[in-house]
Amino acid sequence: MNMDAIDKIVFGDNQFFGINHMSQEKAQQLAEKFFDIENIYNVYRLAFDAGVRGVMLNSNDRAKEICEHFRDNASQYPALHWYPSIPYPHKYANLVAEKGIFPAINEVLFKDNSARKVMGMISKGSAAVVTKDAVKLMQLLIDVEMKIFKGLDIKVVFLQNIITDLILGYDLKDIFYEYCEYIRKKYDALPGLITQNMPYLKQKFEDWGITKVVICASYNKIGYLMSPDVESYEKAAQQNNPDDYQLMAMSTLASGAVPAREAYDFINRQRLQSVVFGASSKRNIDETVSLIDL
Amino acid sequence: MSKIKIGIIGAGRMGITHYSIINSHPQVEISSIADPSGLMLSMMKKYLPVKTFKDYHELFKKDSPDAVLVCTPPNLHNDILKTTFENKTHVFVEKPYTTDLNQAAHLAHLFEKEGLVNQVGYVNRFNDVFKEVNRLIKKDVIGKLIRFKSEMFSCTIAEPDDGSGWRSSREKGGGAVYEMAAHAIDLVNYLVGKPDKVIGSNLNSIYSKKVEDAVSSTFVYKNGCSGTIYVNWSDTAYRKPTNKIELFGTKGKIQADQHSYKIYCNEDDPEQGFRKGWNTRYITDVFENVPFYVRGNEFTSQLYHFIDCIQTSEKKSLCSFSHGADAQEVIHRIFNDYELNGKA
Repeated sequence: MNMDAIDKIVFGDNQFFGINHMSQEKAQQLAEKFFDIENIYNVYRLAFDAGVRGVMLNSNDRAKEICEHFRDNASQYPALHWYPSIPYPHKYANLVAEKGIFPAINEVLFKDNSARKVMGMISKGSAAVVTKDAVKLMQLLIDVEMKIFKGLDIKVVFLQNIITDLILGYDLKDIFYEYCEYIRKKYDALPGLITQNMPYLKQKFEDWGITKVVICASYNKIGYLMSPDVESYEKAAQQNNPDDYQLMAMSTLASGAVPAREAYDFINRQRLQSVVFGASSKRNIDETVSLIDL
Repeated sequence: MSKIKIGIIGAGRMGITHYSIINSHPQVEISSIADPSGLMLSMMKKYLPVKTFKDYHELFKKDSPDAVLVCTPPNLHNDILKTTFENKTHVFVEKPYTTDLNQAAHLAHLFEKEGLVNQVGYVNRFNDVFKEVNRLIKKDVIGKLIRFKSEMFSCTIAEPDDGSGWRSSREKGGGAVYEMAAHAIDLVNYLVGKPDKVIGSNLNSIYSKKVEDAVSSTFVYKNGCSGTIYVNWSDTAYRKPTNKIELFGTKGKIQADQHSYKIYCNEDDPEQGFRKGWNTRYITDVFENVPFYVRGNEFTSQLYHFIDCIQTSEKKSLCSFSHGADAQEVIHRIFNDYELNGKA
C-alpha cells in the first residue's frame, strides 16, 4: 500500500518563535514582531492565499493558542493539514537542568492537567516507572505534547531532531518502531522524524525494516546542518523510494545564506517530496511558493 | 585496529548526550555505564548492550575500559579522576573539571606525565565561530587587545528552587559560576589568556537560595588589557543560552556569539577578505560538518577530537586538564574577590 502523500509545500513556524540558526539578533527582532499573536495569524493568511495548505507547528508555549484559534475559526480558513512537531526541546532542557531527568519528566507529565487526567496519568505513569518501561513513558509524553492539537486534521507527527538524533545515536530500533506504531494507531497520522543525519537515519530505518515514514531534514546547497555532507544527502535522496520514505526539506535557504532562486534551483533538482519553509512577508512567501517545483 | 572501549560515568543530561554522540563513532565501543540511580541503570540495562554499575570503582575493576567519559556532578570529579589515573585510563571530563583548585593542577601534571589523554568539556573551544575568532586574533587582525566583555544569558533557573540537590551547593559544583560562567571564563582564557588579576567581582541570587544566579567580574592583565564578564542564568528574556563576546583591539574589534561574528577593521584586510569598516560572517560561512549531529557541531567535534587524540599519540588535546585548571583558578579568584571586596 502506498503512503498517503504529504503536501508539497508546508509552512513552518521558526520565524514566529524567535528561532534563527544564523543570527540571534535576527531571531530577537522576529520574536518582537510576533509577540502580538494577530501578526502570526496575518502571516498564516498570506501563506494560505499563496495556496499553502500544510502547517508545521512545534508544541511550544504559544502553539496552544494558535491551535485553539484555528479550531475555533475553522470556517474562516481553507481545509488545512497539520504537521505537529514534538516536543518543545527547550522546555525539557531547562527542566532537566533545574531538576534532573526523572523529576523533569514527572513535572511534564503531571503539570497543567485537570484533576481527572492527573489521576489517570499518575496511575499509568507510576506503572511506567515501576516497570521501567521506556515505551510507555514515551507514549505518555507524546500524549501530553499532542493534547493541544486535538481536533485538527493531522497528517504527520514529527519528532524533533534533538530527540530523533539522540535516539538514533543509541541505535534504539525498538523505540523508533514503537513511536511509529503509536503515531499511526493513536493519531491516525504518518510518523515523521526530523533529523540532521538524514542519510544515516534512512539507512538505519531500511536496515530495521521500518518504512512508511516521513523524514524531514535540513537540505541546502551549502550543506549547512547536513551531516555528514551534501553528497551523501543527494545520493540518499536519489536512491530513495518515495513509497517507503517521503523526504521533506527544511532550512533550504540555510538560514538566509543562500538566495531563494539559487536555493530552489538546487532543491528542485533533488528527489524530494516536500519542502517546509518559513517566511513572514507576502513577497517572500509568494516568491518561495512560486520557486518550489518538486 | 581494535575499537576503543569506552566507559561512561554519570548518566545525567550530559552523560546521555555524550553516549549518543560517541556511540556513532565507528572506532568506538561503549562497554559500560556507572550511575548511582537504580532507575536510570535498569532502563539502560534493558535497552542498551552495555554493562551497568552502581559504583564507578566496579566499572574500572570489571570492565577496564580504554577511556572514560566523566559526567557526574563536579564535586565527584576529583575522586573519579584519581581512580581513572590509577587505572591508567584516558579521560574526558565534563567542565568544570574539579572544584578542588590544588588537585586541578596536580591531576593535570599526573595525566600529562603518564601520557594519558586528558580533556575537559569546555565546548566553546570547538565552536566554529569561536575557533575562527581565535584564528583572527592570533593573526593579529584586530591588533593588540585592549578591552573585552564576555557575557552569557539564559533562562535556566526561572523559579525558586527547593535548595536541595548538588545544583544548590557551591561545594558540589552548583551555581551560575560553576555551571555557566565557567564557559564565559574559559572563552576569555581561550581568546585573550588567563587574567593576572581579578577585581570587582559580584554575585547575585535571583531565584536560588544557596547559590548565585548572576555573576560579574573584571579581569586585568599585565600587558594593559582588561575586560569584564557578566553571566546571568535567570534572564527570562533569553529563550536559549546565549554566549557573546566583544573584543576591542588597536586595529579593530570583533563581536561574536556561537552563530555569527561581526568584525570592524580600521583598514582594509585583503588577506582575510575584510574591508575597512564592518564585516559580518555567519556560522554558515565558517562551519565544518561533523559525521554525526546531535546537539551542535561543537559537541560532536570535541568528542571525536578526544578519540582522535587517543588514536594519534602525538596529538595534544585542544582543551586539556591544564586548560581546565586555568579556568578553575579564575573561578576561585572570583569567589575570593567577592568574599573580600564584593559586599557593601
